[in-house]
Amino acid sequence: MKEMMRYGFILALICVVAAGLLAAVNSLTHPKIIAQTQAEEQAALKEVMPLASKFAEVKSDKDKDALYYKAFNNQDKLVGFVFKASSKGYSSQIQTLAGVFLDQKISAVKVISQNETPGLGAKITEDKFSEQFKNRSSLDLSGVEAITGATISSHAVISSVEKKARQIRELIKNER
Amino acid sequence: MKDLVREFTKGIFKENPTFVLALGLCPTLAVSVTVANGIGMGLAATFVLLGSSVIISLVRNFIPGKIRIPCFIVIIATFVTITELCLKAYSPVLNRALGIYVPLIVVNCIVLGRAEAFACKNSVLSSLLDGLGMGVGFTIALIMISGIREFLGSGQILGHTLIKGFEPVFVFGMPSGALLVIGLLLGLFNVLKNMKS
Repeated sequence: MKEMMRYGFILALICVVAAGLLAAVNSLTHPKIIAQTQAEEQAALKEVMPLASKFAEVKSDKDKDALYYKAFNNQDKLVGFVFKASSKGYSSQIQTLAGVFLDQKISAVKVISQNETPGLGAKITEDKFSEQFKNRSSLDLSGVEAITGATISSHAVISSVEKKARQIRELIKNER
Repeated sequence: MKDLVREFTKGIFKENPTFVLALGLCPTLAVSVTVANGIGMGLAATFVLLGSSVIISLVRNFIPGKIRIPCFIVIIATFVTITELCLKAYSPVLNRALGIYVPLIVVNCIVLGRAEAFACKNSVLSSLLDGLGMGVGFTIALIMISGIREFLGSGQILGHTLIKGFEPVFVFGMPSGALLVIGLLLGLFNVLKNMKS
């Protein structure tokens, strides 16, 4: 009985020390981590909309994720929009970031998260595929050719971008 | 001195964690699709092995034998979480490369295995060398497996195409291919070991 108390005490002590350490490290790193994720997000947004220098989130609801981003150039003029499209591919959820100009033409797209088959579906991240989107209307991407052997992954990207572009079409119109 | 060198080198061949001890096969199967993944996982695991081996051998006289496993798990999980938070906050480049593998290491049984089999019975210095050796052995094993799989499965090494017109064998990119490669390499290691002794 006495031994059990001793073991319990030692284990509790280790847990308390561990919890204390974690709390301390967390409070030190938390603001830095948030800043890092924001910087990363800004960099990704800039990649699909190189013309812009500033981005503003637009949300449909306060708690929801951003619906799309308004992109401003350095004279604070609206130059386009960036939105995130997501859809199920062959073996994973594919997330794509797309930048569109005011006339709905695509500036660039970038697949930001995927876990498709390496060597096949994973080719959607390559420039050869994403370059095809440039200067096409985001509302009609039927001209983009799917990658050989990766039709499902390619179509997931194409249709998710198209779908999201149609979804926010009316909202974007009011912004101008 | 010779003993210390042996503590380090045994993890690379004689007690290679993947091929001889057969520990940590789960993450090995999962991440060995590309060489880049293999190196990332290997480095992250080496770092955690080093840290947890040192900490556990430091507190080994304080922990009663009967409750050592829960104590080790708390220590390892704490160390991994601190590493993850620091990586995220201070080194975004490294975090992007290793980020997803670090939390996976908590479930890697090599870390607990070494704590239980070695660090809780040996001095800090030899535990450090043991952890480092095991980490290097794990990394080498991962590079071997992922090298074979990436080459046969997608015709590339580190994302570069080696032979033009090589028709990839897709099964090697799948989990079943990983099992095949690991099994054959394990057999090869055993043959080599038998020849030596």
